[in-house]
Amino acid sequence: MEIQLNAVPHADRPLLEILHLKKHYPVTRGLLKRTVGYVKAVDDVSLTIYPGQTLGLVGESGSGKTTLAHSVMRGITPTAGSVIFHDDHLGPVDVASADPAALRHVRRNMQMVFQDPFSSLNPRMTVLDIIAEPLQVNQIAKGKAAQERVAELLQLVGLRPEYMRRFPHAFSGGQRQRIVVARALALNPRLVLLDEPTSALDVSIQAQTLNLLKDLQSRLNLSYLFISHDLGVVEHVSDTVAVMYVGRVVEVAPTRKLYQQPKHPYTEALLSSIPKPDPTRKKRRIAIAGEIPNPANPPPGCHFHPRCPYAQPICAHEAPPLREVTPGQFAACHFSDELNLKGVNDF
Amino acid sequence: MTNMLLQIKDLRTHFFTESGVVRAVDGVSFDIAPGKTLGVVGESGCGKSVTGYSILQLINPPGRIVGGQILFEREKNGRKEVVDLLKYGARSEDIRQIRGNEIAMIFQEPMTSLDPLFTVGDQLAEAILVHQKVSKRSALDRATELLDKVRLPQARELLNKYPHQLSGGMRQRVMIAMALSGQPKLLIADEPTTALDVTTEGQILDLMQSLQEEFGMAMLFITHDLGVIAEMAEEVVVMYLGRVVEKTDVRTLFDAPKHPYTRALLESIPKVGHKHDGPLQTIEGMVPSPFNIPQGCPFHPRCARFMPGICDEAVPAETPLERSHTVRCYLYSEQAEGDRYGNPA
Repeated sequence: MEIQLNAVPHADRPLLEILHLKKHYPVTRGLLKRTVGYVKAVDDVSLTIYPGQTLGLVGESGSGKTTLAHSVMRGITPTAGSVIFHDDHLGPVDVASADPAALRHVRRNMQMVFQDPFSSLNPRMTVLDIIAEPLQVNQIAKGKAAQERVAELLQLVGLRPEYMRRFPHAFSGGQRQRIVVARALALNPRLVLLDEPTSALDVSIQAQTLNLLKDLQSRLNLSYLFISHDLGVVEHVSDTVAVMYVGRVVEVAPTRKLYQQPKHPYTEALLSSIPKPDPTRKKRRIAIAGEIPNPANPPPGCHFHPRCPYAQPICAHEAPPLREVTPGQFAACHFSDELNLKGVNDF
Repeated sequence: MTNMLLQIKDLRTHFFTESGVVRAVDGVSFDIAPGKTLGVVGESGCGKSVTGYSILQLINPPGRIVGGQILFEREKNGRKEVVDLLKYGARSEDIRQIRGNEIAMIFQEPMTSLDPLFTVGDQLAEAILVHQKVSKRSALDRATELLDKVRLPQARELLNKYPHQLSGGMRQRVMIAMALSGQPKLLIADEPTTALDVTTEGQILDLMQSLQEEFGMAMLFITHDLGVIAEMAEEVVVMYLGRVVEKTDVRTLFDAPKHPYTRALLESIPKVGHKHDGPLQTIEGMVPSPFNIPQGCPFHPRCARFMPGICDEAVPAETPLERSHTVRCYLYSEQAEGDRYGNPA
């Protein structure tokens, strides 16, 4: 089964293709560590990221968003599937099975930014050391040249180069996140994986950071995989949005379509749950019962069926495949064609 | 005094640290009517949580409540009386009677508010036994009822479970059940859904609203999330650096905010369902260090409407606009606040 995700029409070829990616963790029991089951943290996920575009990834905790991002970088080795990075020099490289030399090369082009800027910066290193480290590790620049590059990067993210000899504690949360972004950009990557980059920041700082990220994207033609649980933020930054539920992608579509005409009941439930900053809106939340199932023991069939208000007998034993419901919009639901689901503004 | 459940007047809670005095709450006043919800919104460090903790005198050294009044309407022997909670000592029997009984509080992270070594039943029963003269057995019955009230299925079995066996949403429901055990008149909720996933958050907000109706309690809802404020609150206070900068009903807050900080805050959030490609409005700079609060209006270094020579001189007074709307900003009144920290009147 080959899935073509032409979510947005492109002249370009994709930058990154995630194909049938799986990450299963064995659950062992007893003295002999017999494997009694698997936690399917990422279960057959296929997604495509285009140059200069942002793929937003939403889902609740335990849905596999972060595992997916780490598997893309091969920080975690995937169980199965491939991650094809279209490199300018090497051509398509499967990150999941690349040899060390190719992997090192490709990883320069993929960088990560994490949620908490307080724990992702070494408190005993100066900003100069922090941002210059990737340059030194990859033998791109050292000494004076590295210092110049760091100054340039600091300016790029809106910090004053004079601050480069300071330690991270001297900076606020928003400034630290800028330092993290500067470090990620040191090697001129094509793709940046942003894992909840603004969740730890205050609203006013969040807006500055989001503007910075969008600005850098258009200046440097960066692609983003933007992971967040905040549906408002994801809508603002993304060209395409994928929704994950217990390890699987349940819907992927161009942002407007996904928010205005969702085709999966879980997407609809998420959209109805967001507290909206508008007191005049009627509070008509779709009551979805229960909580996210344990990924070690998910319900059979469609994982969402026990909570789904539209569930039918078939949902309990047959997992629906991800299929194209409207042009560019993919959903994994048996009844996507029949259901008339509400968009974010209909609640 | 027209029938207010809680009136906070000029509350000041300061922290006397080695590096200086932090005026975490500095002259905060607001009222809560019985059965109503007041939302307190602001960024980290604005003093919203400290305000909540101050009401129950849960301030630890080096923090101290240095001034103000917290007037609370109590029913004692069938008669209503208004007491100043700050007249009671933080360890007095009187405040302990009120804490967790007449005024209850729930917190952001339910895992840290529950003891991992005791079962849910033990902890709920304890809360009941502290305030009510009943047997352990009937306390456990009452606990089961409360768990039913917060819509936790299989309440009986749940009594024997430990907190780690519950999900985040279930733990927060247990905390709410515990808070309801004394049938409080006021529930202080400090970011109760911030740590929860969005579908769970929705469930908890719905639950809190229906329980509020059922129990007729008032709520002080502390959050940084303007979406949550829009859903939950009737009246709202916006705080910045220890002061209330604007106070109004929730409709007016979103339709016609007056203070430049409130406006900027509202514009800086991406509005879901209204995607646009332009940049978001931002607030320049960042919240200043609490040790070094700017003179005059504390927002002036970041304010788009900054008027040199006015805003950086003295703290603006709280100016009443129409109805219950007040704002602290020189755009609406020239009046400054004469306060005892050296700012000219």
